[in-house]
Amino acid sequence: MSRKKILLAEDNSTLSLLLKFRLEKEGYELFMAVDGKEAVDIIDKHSLDLIITDIMMPFISGLEVISYIRNKLELDIPIIVFSSAGQEEMVLKAFDLGANDFMGKPFSPNELVIRVKRQLS
Amino acid sequence: MDTSSIKIILQILHYLFFGYAFAAITSYIVLSIISGIETVKYKRKNSFVNYKDILSSAMSPSITIIAPAYNESLNIVENVRSLLSNHYVNYNVVIVNDGSKDDSLEKLIKAYDLEKIDYIINEKIKTQPLREGIFKSKNPAFEKLMIVDKLNGGKADALNMGLNIAKSKYVACIDVDCLLLEDALQKMIKPFLEVTDAKVIATGGVIRIANSCEINGGKLVDVNLPKNLLVQSQILEYLRAFLLGRMAWSRLNGLLVISGAFGIFDKKIAIAVGGYDTNTVGEDMEIIVRMRRYMEEQGRKYKVSYIPDPLCWTEAPDTYKIFISQRNRWTRGTIETLKKHRKIGFNPKYGWFGLISYPYWLIFERWAPIIEAAGLVYFAILVALEELRWEYALSFLLLAYLFSVLFSIAAIYSEELTFHQYKKKGTGFKLVLLSALEPFVLHPFILYAAIKGNIDYYFNKTKKWGQMERKGFSTVQT
Amino acid sequence: MIDFQILLEYYNEFPFLVKLAWDFSVVLSILITILIVYLKFVRKHLRKIEVDNLKFKNEYEGLLIEYLYSEEEAVEISEPQQVILEKLKKHVPIKAKRKVIISVLYKLMNQVSGEVTDALKVVYQNTGLIHYALLRLKSKKWYVIAKGIGELTRFKIDSAEDEIKPYLTHPVREVRKEAHFYFVTLFQFEGLSFLDKLTTPLSEWDQIQMLEILQKFSDQEICDIKPWLQSKNDTVVLFALKLANLYNQYEVKDLLMDLLSHENKTIRIQAIEVLTHLYGIEAKDVLKANFNELSLEEQISFFGMLEKLVIPDDEPFIEKHLFHKNFEIQLLALKILKSINIDKYLGLNKLPSNKKSLAMLNLTDTI
Repeated sequence: MSRKKILLAEDNSTLSLLLKFRLEKEGYELFMAVDGKEAVDIIDKHSLDLIITDIMMPFISGLEVISYIRNKLELDIPIIVFSSAGQEEMVLKAFDLGANDFMGKPFSPNELVIRVKRQLS
Repeated sequence: MDTSSIKIILQILHYLFFGYAFAAITSYIVLSIISGIETVKYKRKNSFVNYKDILSSAMSPSITIIAPAYNESLNIVENVRSLLSNHYVNYNVVIVNDGSKDDSLEKLIKAYDLEKIDYIINEKIKTQPLREGIFKSKNPAFEKLMIVDKLNGGKADALNMGLNIAKSKYVACIDVDCLLLEDALQKMIKPFLEVTDAKVIATGGVIRIANSCEINGGKLVDVNLPKNLLVQSQILEYLRAFLLGRMAWSRLNGLLVISGAFGIFDKKIAIAVGGYDTNTVGEDMEIIVRMRRYMEEQGRKYKVSYIPDPLCWTEAPDTYKIFISQRNRWTRGTIETLKKHRKIGFNPKYGWFGLISYPYWLIFERWAPIIEAAGLVYFAILVALEELRWEYALSFLLLAYLFSVLFSIAAIYSEELTFHQYKKKGTGFKLVLLSALEPFVLHPFILYAAIKGNIDYYFNKTKKWGQMERKGFSTVQT
Repeated sequence: MIDFQILLEYYNEFPFLVKLAWDFSVVLSILITILIVYLKFVRKHLRKIEVDNLKFKNEYEGLLIEYLYSEEEAVEISEPQQVILEKLKKHVPIKAKRKVIISVLYKLMNQVSGEVTDALKVVYQNTGLIHYALLRLKSKKWYVIAKGIGELTRFKIDSAEDEIKPYLTHPVREVRKEAHFYFVTLFQFEGLSFLDKLTTPLSEWDQIQMLEILQKFSDQEICDIKPWLQSKNDTVVLFALKLANLYNQYEVKDLLMDLLSHENKTIRIQAIEVLTHLYGIEAKDVLKANFNELSLEEQISFFGMLEKLVIPDDEPFIEKHLFHKNFEIQLLALKILKSINIDKYLGLNKLPSNKKSLAMLNLTDTI
C-alpha cells in the first residue's frame, strides 16, 4: 500500500522539522509549506490524504486554505488546524469552514500522531 | 540712505542668515544625537519582547483600521487582502470608498462575496452621506471586513466616516495601498498599553518606501533599492527624517506630525476634537496638533509616541511632476495647520509644545524654503552686480553641502545598525553615492515645490489634493 | 607645489569666519571619507553575521531534532544524546552561537508540550545555558537583567525563584514586568502573591500578558482575589476585576458592588461590566437609583447591563430614557424596549417625525 501523503503548513522552521521527522517515522510522506500560498500550490499539484495547517500564516491564512479546499476544490480531505491560545474565534471559524480537528499550541507531538491516525482511518 | 547704512543693514542680514543656518545645523545635530540615543533605548527595551506569542491575545484592545480609498481599483482587492492578514486578534477593517468613479466597489463585492447590510451610524462627526451603503462579507473568513461606499468628500471626510462607524477603542488610519507588516498593530498598540503615567493619544509609525520591493500578494518578500534616482533620494530623505528626527521629537513629546499613511489614535479623543478637518490638505498634521492642544488645554498629561520599526511600506512618487505636487501639498498643509493654531506659538500655556515644537516647525520648516529662496535671489543679485566674493560663497556652500552629506551618512549608519533593511550587495555604495547626489537631485525640487506651495496657498485657493498615479507594486509570479 | 603656496596665501588673507568655514570643510571631508570606508566593513560584517546565523540555525535545529529522537527508555540521557549535549556545550560559551541555540530552543518551547518540553529543559540545563542566564541577573544594565529573567521564565527554571524575587520591586518598569511574568508563568495563581504588596502601577500590557499566561494553565484553581479588589493600588484592582470576569467569581459580588462607588472612574465602569457578566441584579437596582449621578460612560455601561439583565419592571425606566441626550443610550434603550415590549416599540414608529428621537429616526426594523 502506498504511503499516505500529508501536507504540513507551518512557518516555524524548528517545529516543522520536528513534526516532519515524527510523522515520517510513522511512515507518512510529508510535503512542507511555509505559508498559505505554498500550501495552495502543493494542494494543486498533489493528491493529498491529510492537511495539517497553522491558522496564523502570512498572506493566505489557514482559514483561506480551508475555504479553498472545501469550497473551491470541493474536496473531502481531512484537515487538522493548529492555533495559538486566544484564537478561539478563529478555531470556530475553521470548523465552520469545514476543518475536522484542531490542536491548540502548545501541543504534544504524540497526541498529533494519534489524531492523524484517527483522521486517516 | 547712504551706502554705509546699506552696508550695515546688509551685514546684519548676512549675520542673520548665517545665524539661521547655524541654528538649523545645530538643531539637526542635537536631534540626531537624541534620536540615536532613543533608538538604542527602544531596541534594548524591545529586543526581548515577544510580540508573536503574546499579543495575539483576545484580551488585547480592539482596533479598527480605517482606510479611505479613491479610484484605487487597480490594486484594491490585493490591498484589502493584505490588511486582512494581520496577526493581531481583535481588529477589523473598514474601507471607505470615497465616491470612487471606477469599479472598486464591484471588484470588492466580487472578490470578497459582499452583501449590503443595515447599519446604524452614530454620526458624531458630520460627513458626506452614504452612496451605495455598507457591505459585509457572507464568508466567515472575511468577517473582519466592512466596505463603506459614500459620496465623495475627500480623505478627511472619509476618515471621519470611519471614526463614526468604528466601535473599537482605537483606530488605525491608514492609506489603503500601505503594506502593513503582520505584527504592525501589536507593535503600535504597545505604547497605549504600557505607559502608566500619561495618556497616549496617538502613535505614529515609520513609512518605508516600497517601490521596487518584491511584494508577493500582500507580504513583503524582498527589499530592493529602486533604480529611479528620485525614489532613491526620497528613501534617503525618509531615513533622515525618521531615524534622525522623529525619534527625538517623540522623546521631547514634541512630535507634530504622524504620517498620514499610518497612525493609531485614541478614538474618543479624536472624536472629541471633532475628527479630521476637511478644509485642509494637511489633515494628518492638523489633527495631531488639535489633539495635543485639546490635552494641553485640559491640563492632562499626555504623550504622542512613535515606533521606529519599519511597519508600513508604501509607494513614493517616481516622477518629478507627482513629487512636486505632493510636496506642494505638504507645504500648504503645514502653512494651513500652523496658521490655524497660531495661538499656540510661543505660548507657555501649551508647555513644550507651544514653546519648542511649534516655533521650531514655524522657523525651520515653514520659513526655511522662503529664507533659502531669498538667499538664492540675493546670491543671484550679487553675481549680476559682480559683487560676489567667490571665496566666501564657495566656502559656505561647500560647508552646507558637506553637512548635508554627513547627515545622510549618519542616517545610513543609523539604518544599518538598527533595522538594516537594505542588505543586498552594492546598495551600501549606492546609498553613499546618493548622499552626494541628493542635494542636487532632490533638494532643488523640494525648494521649488515649497515655494510654489506658498504661492498657491496665498494666491490660488482652489487647489486641492492633486492626483497620484497608481502603478501597483511589482509582483513576482511563482 | 607652487599652486599650493598660492592657495595658502589666499587662505591666510581670508576673514576669520571664512577661514573657519574652510577648516570645518576639511574636517568634515576627512570624517566623511572615514565613515564611507568604514561603512563597507560594517555592511560586510552584518552580512556575515546573517549568513553565519543561518548556518548555525540549521546545524542546531538538526542536532536538536536528532537529540529528541535519540531517546532511550529508562535512561534519562542516552549515549547519543550525551554526545550531542557535549557538542553543544562547546558552542555555548560563544555568544553568537549561544544566541542561536537559545532561539532554536525557544522556537520549540512554546509550540509543543509534554515530554518534548522536559527534554528541552534538560538540554538547557545540561549545556550550561542556564549558567549564562543566571550571570545576566547580576548585570548592572537593566536590559541585560530583563533578558536574563525572560530566558529563565521561558525555560521554566524554578530554581531561580529566590534570585528573581528582589526584581519584583526593581526601579525599571521592564525588569519588574519580566519578574511578574516569571512568577506567574512558574507558579500561576500562587505566583501572583506579589500583588498583595505591589505599589508600582501594573500597565495594561502587563495585565493582559499575565492573564494570557494564566489562561494557558486551565487546570488551576483561582486563588482568593478579595484582597486585591480592595488594594490601594488602582491597577491591582483593575487586574483583579479582569480576573473576576474571566474566572466567573460570583463570590466577590459584594465587593464589586462597593467598587461601584470607587473614586476611580475606570474602576467603576469595569465593575459595572463585570457585574453584568456575573448577573449582578442587586447592582442593577443600585445603579438605576443613582443613574442621574453617574458619568456618561457609566450610564452607557449601565445600559449595556440592562440589555442583559432587563426585566419587565424596568420598562418605565427605559421609557424615561428614550430621549436621553446621548445617541448611544437612545439606541440601546430602543433595543431593550423592543426585547421587553414589542408592541410599544412598534408604536414608536408611528410617532410623527418631530416627536421622534434621533435614534428612532435612524431606525430600520432590523435593529
